[in-house]
Amino acid sequence: MGQKGDQGGKVVVVVLPCSGIGKAYGEIGRQATYALMDDLCPDKVTTTCLAKLMIGDPDALDLVKNNTVITIDGCAHDCARKNVESTGKKVDTAVRVINTFKQHKDLKPAGVLELGEPGFKLAQILAEDLAAEIDCPRRKEE
Amino acid sequence: MPENRYLETTYDKFIFRASVDCLYHPEECWVREDGGLLVVGVTDFQQKVGGDIAFVETLEPGSEVKQGGGAGTLETIKTTLTVVSPVSGEISEVNSSLEDDPQLINTDPFGEGWLYKIKPSNWEGEKASLLDAQTYFPKMEEKIRQEMKK
Amino acid sequence: MLELVEINPQKVGIIPCNGEELPEGTLTRFACRKVLDKLKPNNTVTICLPLFIAGGKEEREFAQKFPTITVDGCDKRCSRINTEKLSGKPRHSIVITDLLKEHGINAPGSARTLVDMDQKAIDLVAGEIAQKVDEILAGEK
Repeated sequence: MGQKGDQGGKVVVVVLPCSGIGKAYGEIGRQATYALMDDLCPDKVTTTCLAKLMIGDPDALDLVKNNTVITIDGCAHDCARKNVESTGKKVDTAVRVINTFKQHKDLKPAGVLELGEPGFKLAQILAEDLAAEIDCPRRKEE
Repeated sequence: MPENRYLETTYDKFIFRASVDCLYHPEECWVREDGGLLVVGVTDFQQKVGGDIAFVETLEPGSEVKQGGGAGTLETIKTTLTVVSPVSGEISEVNSSLEDDPQLINTDPFGEGWLYKIKPSNWEGEKASLLDAQTYFPKMEEKIRQEMKK
Repeated sequence: MLELVEINPQKVGIIPCNGEELPEGTLTRFACRKVLDKLKPNNTVTICLPLFIAGGKEEREFAQKFPTITVDGCDKRCSRINTEKLSGKPRHSIVITDLLKEHGINAPGSARTLVDMDQKAIDLVAGEIAQKVDEILAGEK
């Protein structure tokens, strides 16, 4: 259910966005996660619901415990990172959307959920930065 | 750093605070004595309304500023705010932590999110025009009510 | 623990699960924002679930003082379970998969983006939340 990646001995990267609903940054992190999972690194990246992890779901806990974890937080509250670490797992990479915005301050999202073109562009840039960091194999141009 | 005590009020789920150890300028900045210097920052109301701070720019140390004059800018994803200096004097130090983590202004506006320190040129004369926390607080509450209507 | 009950509450907290795995998780976000921004802007607050869980003071204090409605994408009920753990039982708990099934409406096809034809699902869920808000504000027992 939404989880991809062959966990039979293959390295899987679990990307967990905070998906905060109060700010556009939450949706940008979420869209970056989908871009990684669906477009940029479909064989390597997966996600799970952060709230499901926090109710102690065994599958979610197992996934996080046994794989590389990247958290994407919308703001300084760092909820995704803190929540994951409260399960006992040390996050491998923790990023904040605002740091991507700082490098591309012309890309202001249109709304909290309806990001508009600039917001989606910002999400794409964040996804590409993370894809480079986790060394996704470049897909052949179609 | 002195232990801060706060006046607090809640609107919807948001808690707004004013430190009782500070004096306030109507343009939503605060000032607090620190030895012979004054520490300046923006209010909790200002950071909440402005949003998550992405960039901070302040005048350099050595710069002179007048009370009510521009001392810098804060940029968020929503807006750019001018930082108005609550006092006149020479800027002696800026908070270098804000370069890597400007969101300290959001998480701790009266503590780690301070903006700059200033050597005042007319503190005794100017502080009378600033508001103590008890006087500032109801004015802040009225501004909150206005914001909630938007 | 004493449970304080607001007799005539003026505010209701909406807590969407935000689940990333399912389209229904995305639906919880759009429906809740519709309630907050358009249907009940003066009487609702959204509680950010990850912040609520991570210890956000404002979220927790609000949820302890005011009635809440949890909105879950699936029957894992992550929002409801977390809310019960952190602030007490929500006044209402909505599970989107059940609601859509009851009304014969298809779930969105993608978690990533909702399209025009998903508007019916958004409206249904938002309407259900708004109705529950009205019931709470009217002083339901």
